[in-house]
Amino acid sequence: MSPTAQTLNEPWGDGRDATRAVDGAAPAPYMNPYLAGIGLGLVLLAAFVIMGRGLGASGAVNAFVAWVVGSLAPAHAQSNAFLAEYLGDGTTHPLKAWLVFEVLGVFAGALLSGLLAHRVRVSVEKGPRVSAGLRLALAFTGGATMAFGAALARGCTSGQALTGGSMLNAGSWVTMLAIFGGAYALAYFVKWQWR
Amino acid sequence: MNTPFYKYGAFGDETSLVVAFVIGIGFGFFLERAGFGSARKLVSQFYLNDLAVFKVMFTAIVTAMLGATYLAWMGVLDLSLVYLTPTVLWPQLVGGLVLGIGFVIGGYCPGTSVASVATGRLDGLAFVLGLPVGTLLFAEAFPWIRGFYENGSVGVQTLPGVFDLPYGLVVFAVVLMALGGFAGASWIEKKFQPR
Amino acid sequence: MRHWMSSLTLNQKLAALAFVLGVVAVFAKPTGGGAVTIDPNDLARIVETEVDHVDPLDLADWIMAGRADYRLVDLRDEKAFGEYHIPGAQRLLITDLPDAGLPRNEKIVLYSDGGIHSAQAWFLLKAKGYTGVYMLLGGLDAWRDEVLFPTLAKNPTPYQQQRNEKLTAIARHFGGQPRSGAADTEAAPQIAAMPKLELPAGVAAPAGAAKKKKKEGC
Repeated sequence: MSPTAQTLNEPWGDGRDATRAVDGAAPAPYMNPYLAGIGLGLVLLAAFVIMGRGLGASGAVNAFVAWVVGSLAPAHAQSNAFLAEYLGDGTTHPLKAWLVFEVLGVFAGALLSGLLAHRVRVSVEKGPRVSAGLRLALAFTGGATMAFGAALARGCTSGQALTGGSMLNAGSWVTMLAIFGGAYALAYFVKWQWR
Repeated sequence: MNTPFYKYGAFGDETSLVVAFVIGIGFGFFLERAGFGSARKLVSQFYLNDLAVFKVMFTAIVTAMLGATYLAWMGVLDLSLVYLTPTVLWPQLVGGLVLGIGFVIGGYCPGTSVASVATGRLDGLAFVLGLPVGTLLFAEAFPWIRGFYENGSVGVQTLPGVFDLPYGLVVFAVVLMALGGFAGASWIEKKFQPR
Repeated sequence: MRHWMSSLTLNQKLAALAFVLGVVAVFAKPTGGGAVTIDPNDLARIVETEVDHVDPLDLADWIMAGRADYRLVDLRDEKAFGEYHIPGAQRLLITDLPDAGLPRNEKIVLYSDGGIHSAQAWFLLKAKGYTGVYMLLGGLDAWRDEVLFPTLAKNPTPYQQQRNEKLTAIARHFGGQPRSGAADTEAAPQIAAMPKLELPAGVAAPAGAAKKKKKEGC
């Protein structure tokens, strides 16, 4: 059962899926991507104007890991050049980082949008040919892979492609093109997960 | 010139964390509006069925880029105070490829995975749980890959700087490229409609 | 014309808008070009009210209290800096000041030997829009005379005795010692007797280095 273009634009991708959202209502269709993009761009611009920095996500993960390692094995964390940067001189808690709070906001904002559009429900996004269990394992693996890549690239799609892209940062454009390149290159080989 | 507000001392670090949360709400809101809490919608970009990722990302880039350029031109925004990550060619190239690979395996990127958890996706949760594992692996491997991590470091570079072109011209070129991409996207989506 | 425009879809209208903005942007000059603007009246008022000065003893207090909310900038050359500098100072030449990327939301305290270079540097930073710029009143000369080698009051009253003790404590903290009595005869040895650079145990690490805690990353 391959999805049609129509079903891909329906929030839950399957015209025959009668499941409702947690509040019992049918999901609303997604927003026009160009309008959503303008909204996102304005949020990004607000960050530039208010904070003098852009958006991000992987940096929050780095801070979190630095905090955990710093709490469990402080000497080891301090001697690790990568983690030590997120611990600083100890005057501020590693989790009191801009990105950590921003990511919490992302959760809240997405939840808000989801509730308004009746798109919140417990589910596992996957193609028809894989089991939920396998999908979860692959998602976990993908997360670990992306975090590793993000550490190398000094950011992920939000920090590098989106933020750096709009600021015409050369390294960010390299990263962005590499992301698309890597994804397209591997897509064929993992198609069984999605189609 | 009195923006970015934070860099001009308009408010302190504590307040900036609140700002982070609010900006994050905007970020997460529009991610979910666009449907990016759904792995199937996201990866459809790489099977050319649904190019929303490209549309949203580049609309956001163009919006923020034009906004920042005009504000800087008007003397409202001090662009030199907006943080840019330094360009480090090789790790960003490889990191980007790894990010892309992780994207099609995991189905999300760090930012969208948070949006996905907020809307109840268990695979999004698995992805989020994988993130710190990847970061930890990177941190532990850091002493060995440190050399590579810094390979090709050229400091902060912008595209206008690298190509020795006026800023505004590069901005226009990016706009043209995006508009061309959007036009092409409709054609590609029709052509690659899943059967 | 109107008929044609109204038959465009929303997406096409947005695209047209983006195109127009893009074309106009070709002429944008967003990076400013290093020009500065000053408000002479504003600056004159600040100079007159002397709100931009920091007393050496106040600075000594800040250092001893371990405050990290300021940057101390030494404007002298490398050799002078190497012989002695106020603990926690970073060295910057005036020519490097505008591009040094000093944060605008922190206090910046400038000092040189006397007051001339720091005053000129103050003006430069003010013209670039910095708001929290201060000069060390009297420069390193005053630091030497008031903090490192303070003159204690002779035949002190109880109040003066208290002050003497405080000055002595401060001087010792920075590796100096109070002068007693006849100031002139001790003027010459002072130059040779600048304290060594090892910081006493309690002094905070250089404000610039360890303070930059969070990586600003993505």
